[in-house]
Amino acid sequence: MHPAPSPSAVERTTRDHRTASFSRRRLLAALAAVPLALTPVACGDGDDAGGSDPNKPIELSIFWWGAEGRAKLTEDALALYTKKHPNVTFKKTWQANQGYFDKLATLTAGGDAPDIFQIDDNYLTEYASRNVTLDLTSYKDSGKLDLSKFPESLWQYGVVDGKLAGVAFGENTQGLVYNKSLLAKHNLPEPTTGMSWEEFIAWAENVSKTTKVPGTQDPSADYKALWVWLRQQGKDLYKDKALGFTEQDITAWFELWKGARDRGATPTPDVIHEGNVTDISKQLVVTGKAGTSWVWVNQMPELKKNTKDELGVIAYPGDPSAQWARASMYFSVFRGSEHKDVAVDVINFLANDPEAGKILGTDRGLPSNLDIRKAVSETVTDPNMKLSIQVETELGSTFGPSPQVPLKGHSKVRSELVKAAEEVQYGRQTPAQAAAAYLAACKAAIGQV
Amino acid sequence: MAVSTLPVAPATPADPGPADRRGRGGPRRRENVAGYVFLSPWLLGLLGITAIPMLLSLYLSFTNYDALTSLSEVEWVGFANYERMFTEDPSYWHAVRVTLTFALVAVPLKLAAALGVALLLNRAFRGVGLFRGLFYLPSLLGGSVALAIVWVNMFNRDGAFNSFLALFGVEGAPWVNDPQWALETLMALAIWQFGAPMVIFLAGLKQIPTELYEAASVDGAGVWRQFRNVTLPMLSPVIFFNLVLETINGFQGFTAAFVLSNGTGGPVDSTLMYTLNLYIKGFTELQMGYASALAWVFLVAIAVITVVLFSTGRFWVHYADGEQR
Repeated sequence: MHPAPSPSAVERTTRDHRTASFSRRRLLAALAAVPLALTPVACGDGDDAGGSDPNKPIELSIFWWGAEGRAKLTEDALALYTKKHPNVTFKKTWQANQGYFDKLATLTAGGDAPDIFQIDDNYLTEYASRNVTLDLTSYKDSGKLDLSKFPESLWQYGVVDGKLAGVAFGENTQGLVYNKSLLAKHNLPEPTTGMSWEEFIAWAENVSKTTKVPGTQDPSADYKALWVWLRQQGKDLYKDKALGFTEQDITAWFELWKGARDRGATPTPDVIHEGNVTDISKQLVVTGKAGTSWVWVNQMPELKKNTKDELGVIAYPGDPSAQWARASMYFSVFRGSEHKDVAVDVINFLANDPEAGKILGTDRGLPSNLDIRKAVSETVTDPNMKLSIQVETELGSTFGPSPQVPLKGHSKVRSELVKAAEEVQYGRQTPAQAAAAYLAACKAAIGQV
Repeated sequence: MAVSTLPVAPATPADPGPADRRGRGGPRRRENVAGYVFLSPWLLGLLGITAIPMLLSLYLSFTNYDALTSLSEVEWVGFANYERMFTEDPSYWHAVRVTLTFALVAVPLKLAAALGVALLLNRAFRGVGLFRGLFYLPSLLGGSVALAIVWVNMFNRDGAFNSFLALFGVEGAPWVNDPQWALETLMALAIWQFGAPMVIFLAGLKQIPTELYEAASVDGAGVWRQFRNVTLPMLSPVIFFNLVLETINGFQGFTAAFVLSNGTGGPVDSTLMYTLNLYIKGFTELQMGYASALAWVFLVAIAVITVVLFSTGRFWVHYADGEQR
C-alpha cells in the first residue's frame, strides 16, 4: 500500500531533523505559538500550487463518509487522477456516516480540516455560513470548475448566502426500499409508488400478519419522511428563516404512526430504535427486522451488499411529486487549504471526467453531469445501480421544485425529531405532548422567535 | 545534549557546602536545570496537552465559540453560557440526574463486588492466581469500545442474556434499547469491571497483620465480628482510596454510553451522561463555548465532591499508625 518514497517524503524527513535542533528560545516561541496554531483557517490565502512549479509534489487530504464499496470506487477514481497528474497524491480518510460530522468539526476546530471533504445539506449551511468552505464562484466563472453540464437547480443547491459552498455530487431522492424475496415467498403484492399513506400502512399490516416480519420500519423519527409528508400537504420543513409546519402537523404525523404501530404494521419500539440510525448496515430491511426501510434511492446498491434478499425500491407513499431532486452530497474545499486550485481541479475531475464518472457510477447518486449520467446509465452493470437509476429517472418527470437549503440548526431539528418520536413510540408521551416539545426545541435550534 | 557537559554533581548533595549557596551558576543551580531538562517531556505534555488547552477552554466558556469560526472572531458573552446551563437548558439538569443516578448506584455496588471477591480470593487455595487473573480480566478491557459493542449485542431483544433468561421461561426486556433499562445496563457493565479496585483491596487485605485475627479469634470473635472490627477498620484507607477514585471515574463515564447510544444518549436521553451531553453540545451541535462552560462546572463539581469525601474521611478512615489525618 505504501507508495514509493516520494520527494515530499524526503522533504518531510529533513524537516524533522531540523526540529531536533530546537534551541530553548525557539522551544518557548513554539510553545507560545500553540494557541495561534489552534486558530482554524489561519491565513492560508496564498496558493503555492498554481503558479511556479506545476510538478511540485502535492499531497491533498480528502475525507468522506460511506461504506467500503464507496471507498473502493473513490480510491480508484483518485488513483486515476494521480496517474494523470503524478505530482498529486492523496491522503484518504473515510468512515461511516455516524460520527463523520463530529470528526469533521474536530478537524476544522484544530485548523486541520481536509483539503477536500464530503458534506451534505444537513451541514452545508453550518460550514458555509462560518466561512469554512471556499467560495467556488470564481472557479465556476473562469471555467476551472465546469458546472455547465449540471442541471441548473442542482448546482444552485450548493449556493449558500450567494456563495458556491459545495459542488453537488450526485442527485438522489427519497426511496422506500422493500424486501422483494420476503414478499415473493409469501405471495404478497409489492408496494407501488402512489399508494396513499393509509393504503401503505394497511399493506404493511398485512405483511406483518402473513410473514411474521413487521411490514415497515416506523419512519416517524425520520426527518425526510416527515418532510415529504409535509410537502404533500402544501407545508414544508422550513419557510424562509422559520419552520414550515405547525404543532398540529406534527401531532397528526405522530398519530398516523401511532395508529400504524397499534395495528402491528411496524416493529416494537426497541427495534424501531435500532433502525433509527443512519448506518446502512443497520437498516431494518437488511437486518431482516422489517419489510421496508426509508432511505435514499442511491443507497440501494450498498443496502444490497448487506443482505442476501432481493430488494425493490419505490417512492415514499402519497403523491410522489412532493419528492425532489436533492443533491445527495457535495464536495467542498477547505478555505484554509494550501492547495486550493489543485483541490478544485480534483473535484472538477471527479465530477466531469468520463472515465472517473464511469468508475464512481451512481454510488453517490445519479452523476450531476448530465452527459456522464447518460453514459453511466447506458453502461452500468450492477442491477441495483440500474434499478436506482431507473426509479430516479421515472420519478424525475414528476419532481416538484426543490425546497430551500436547510437552515443552520438543521442537525438539531433532526435529532430532536428522533427524540420526540421515540417518546411517543415508547409510550412515554402522547403525540400532542411530544409535538409541543418538538416545536419548542426546533424553534430554539434555528433561533426562531 | 547540554546535560552531558555538566560537571559531576557534588558527592553529598544533602550537606551543601557554602559554595553552593553563592548564587547563580552553582552546581546546585545547574542540578536544578538538569532536573528540569529531564522533566521536560512531562512538563511539555502538561503545558501543551493539559494546561494550555484547559486555560483556553476556560476562556472559551465565556464566548460563543462554535468550533468552526476562527478563534480570533469569537465574541465574549460573559456568563451567558453558565446562566443558560442553570436556567434554560432542560437537557443539562436531565444529564445531571442521569449521571448522579449512575454514580450513586454503580460506584457502591462496584466497590462491594470488588471487596467481596477480594475477600474470597484472599485465601490460599489451588488456582487462586488463575481466579485473580480471571476476575481482573474484564477491567483490562477497560473503557474499550469493543466491550461496549459486545454489551449492546448481549443485552438487546435477541441477545445472549435474554436467551439465558428464556431457559427459565422469563421474557427479558430489550435492555439497551429500552429507556427503562438502558442506564441499568450501563451500570451493570461498570460494576462488572470491578477488577482494578479488587486488586487494590487484595493488596490492602494482605497488609492486615494476621496477629489481629488471631487475637480476635482468641477473644471469641466470629467471622462477622472479625470482618466488622478488624478487616473494615484496617482496610478503611484502601476503601477510601478506591471510593474517591471510583467516584471520579463513575462521574466521567463516557465510552459505554457513547457506543451504546450511537452518540445520542438515547433511547430518549436515558443514557445522557454528563460527559456525553457535553460532547454532543460541543461536537454535534457545535456549541463549543457552551460545552467548555459545561466542562468547567463539571470540574468544579467533581472537586467539591472529592473535598466532601475527604472531609467525611476523618470520621471513618483509620490509619494504622493511629494518627488522625
